[in-house]
Amino acid sequence: MTKAMIEINHLKKRFGNNEVLKDISAEVDKGQVICIIGPSGSGKSTFLRCLNVLEHPTEGKIIFDGTDLAKLNEGKELDQLREKMGMVFQNFNLFPNMNVIENIKLAPMKVKGISEAEAEKTALELLARVGLEDRAKQYPSSLSGGQQQRVAIARALAMNPEVMLFDEPTSALDPEMVGEVLKTMQDLAESGMTMVVVTHEMAFAREVADEIWFMADGYLQEKGAPEVIFTNPTSQRAKDFLAKVL
Amino acid sequence: MKLPKKTMMAIMTSLLAFLTILLTVMPVKAADQVTNNSVMQRIKQKKELVVGTSADYPPLEFTASEAGQTKYVGVDIELAKDIAKDLNAKLVIKNMSFDSLLVALETGKVDMVISAMTPSPERKKSVDFSKIYYHPSGEFFLINKKDQAKYRKIADFKGQTLGAQTGSIQYELIQKQMKSSKVKGLSKINNLVLAVQSGKVAGVVVEELIAKAYAQNNHNLLAVQSDLKEAQAGNAVAIAKGQKDLVAAVNKTIARVQKEQLIEHKYLPAAAKYMKTAKKNNSMMKYAPYFVKGVGYTVEITIFSVLIGVILGTLFALMRLSKIKLVHWLAVAYIEFIRGTPQMVQILFVYFGVGYFVSNLSAVVAGIIAIGLNSGAYVAEDIRSGIGSIAKGQTEAARSLGLSQAKTYRYVIIPQALKNIWPALGNEFITLLKDSSLVSVIGVSELMYQTQLVQTSTYRGVLPLAIAMVIYFIMTFTLTRLLNYFEKRMKHND
Repeated sequence: MTKAMIEINHLKKRFGNNEVLKDISAEVDKGQVICIIGPSGSGKSTFLRCLNVLEHPTEGKIIFDGTDLAKLNEGKELDQLREKMGMVFQNFNLFPNMNVIENIKLAPMKVKGISEAEAEKTALELLARVGLEDRAKQYPSSLSGGQQQRVAIARALAMNPEVMLFDEPTSALDPEMVGEVLKTMQDLAESGMTMVVVTHEMAFAREVADEIWFMADGYLQEKGAPEVIFTNPTSQRAKDFLAKVL
Repeated sequence: MKLPKKTMMAIMTSLLAFLTILLTVMPVKAADQVTNNSVMQRIKQKKELVVGTSADYPPLEFTASEAGQTKYVGVDIELAKDIAKDLNAKLVIKNMSFDSLLVALETGKVDMVISAMTPSPERKKSVDFSKIYYHPSGEFFLINKKDQAKYRKIADFKGQTLGAQTGSIQYELIQKQMKSSKVKGLSKINNLVLAVQSGKVAGVVVEELIAKAYAQNNHNLLAVQSDLKEAQAGNAVAIAKGQKDLVAAVNKTIARVQKEQLIEHKYLPAAAKYMKTAKKNNSMMKYAPYFVKGVGYTVEITIFSVLIGVILGTLFALMRLSKIKLVHWLAVAYIEFIRGTPQMVQILFVYFGVGYFVSNLSAVVAGIIAIGLNSGAYVAEDIRSGIGSIAKGQTEAARSLGLSQAKTYRYVIIPQALKNIWPALGNEFITLLKDSSLVSVIGVSELMYQTQLVQTSTYRGVLPLAIAMVIYFIMTFTLTRLLNYFEKRMKHND
């Protein structure tokens, strides 16, 4: 049996007295695409942000590359592990003061020390991959939401990550833009990238995911293959939720 | 602003600690500075006699312009010259506002004060006096000519407000003998004269010669002999406590001056001559060099204070953002303390207070330090709010890409924050330029101070102020244009 890429053990997260994540254990295998679904406020985003320690877990372990991330304080070691986990945010979070290609080149040059020429070459390849090679010199404010999110995906990919985390990547988009972003993500999944996606796009989850995790009330209520979760969920919480969204 | 209880406690504690240290160290240092007979030693050593005066009180002390140079003249200045001569020292005049004089004396900034000062019992508690060298001729009311039928004696001013120099004997006289009138104190005579002319006060109580000088130079003013009874007439030289030898030396000079009748035959005629020339030629063009000099100092103070302010501000902003609690609290305490105290008090505190530790701290340097320290707190807040205005998502995106905290700041946050900080910083610079006028209280020859000199020299109140306003406006307007230009250029870089 291959060792899991990310191993989550009894993860808990409290904000003050509010316990958002109550006790979560799970594994992400290499090449797997996992979609996390569940009602709003169930802790999906918090869980995802714990994976690359944008939120520091209160208790539990997150083992990635043989290291428990939850134990690390902010510093070099954590930074080095973070760069192996790409993240895409709901609000894109492109750097507005840099144009598209500068956004993509920044981290490879400043973190990995890659030469500008090489970073530029990679960036253009990635832009071609997300279909935006002609937008390299434009500033984020002149792009549509869908285009911005595709740039954000390219920016994360530029660090050549082992896993990509998506935090509701299409929630802030106009409906007509959702498709192009999901298409990009699907291509990425088909290329073999390990992905953890928090999403409300049930059709996408059903089609692309290898495994669905259903979260509610701070617990991972159940997980399984999409066809099982979507057609025959076991927990009452999942039944109620799916009845509403499908 | 909401602060957690713990933080509040920390701020209070650090402030208390700061004040305790200050208060315990200061008296010791002060004792070092002015001990028994130490002033005389200092004069002999440096061959320099530093005399403090408030040069806005003709004919006793005032300024005159001679070939574009400011010259301190008047009876008291002449006396100071003779005292210096007898002590075999070079005379240095320090001009400051009347109410700062005794503090300057006690803190060793000046060796003696000769400024038409009356040895009142209150003053005798903190300083010693020589014998009386001059008996003023009596108190006069300086009123508007149109009121000449209305105000002749004390009873006429019932229910009215009278002006007098703050801390002066006239101020006390009004309080004691004109109980049915109110008193308004201003530190400069020229501002008092303005107050009469603009109807803010019904009249000003000043000494005869001054009243007459102003009445002569302003056709709408009139000097009226008052019926105020002076309890302790006469002016004396003020000297710090415990300087028996210096008091003796000054008394010896006064004795000589009185024997030779120098005041009547030499000092007063000389002073009258300067007062006459002032009347003859009051053209503002003649005083252009005064304003030029003032602008020079104002610009110098502004530039250096901005430098200090930006350096300190950056430092305190970073300290405030620091995760190390002590460092964070120190910055918070500093910023809150500076923003919670008046800048005027800070300037006086730096000049007189810090002057304990650094005895040769010049007024310009003290002013620059005080304004720079003050500006630092505001700049820190500008920078902090500029950084705070950058959405959290920017940091998260940068950190998720593996950028360290330092690199996140350097490449992502600061470049964006600068655009937000710049306009606030620009406002701060303009405020600073204007606030530099406050250092006139400690006698720095910046624009406001020079304007006051012109006012006293010309016996005219409004015109010099108008000129000063225009000059300040030209400076701030130019600065605003300059800042806007850079702001636009930043925007183009988007």
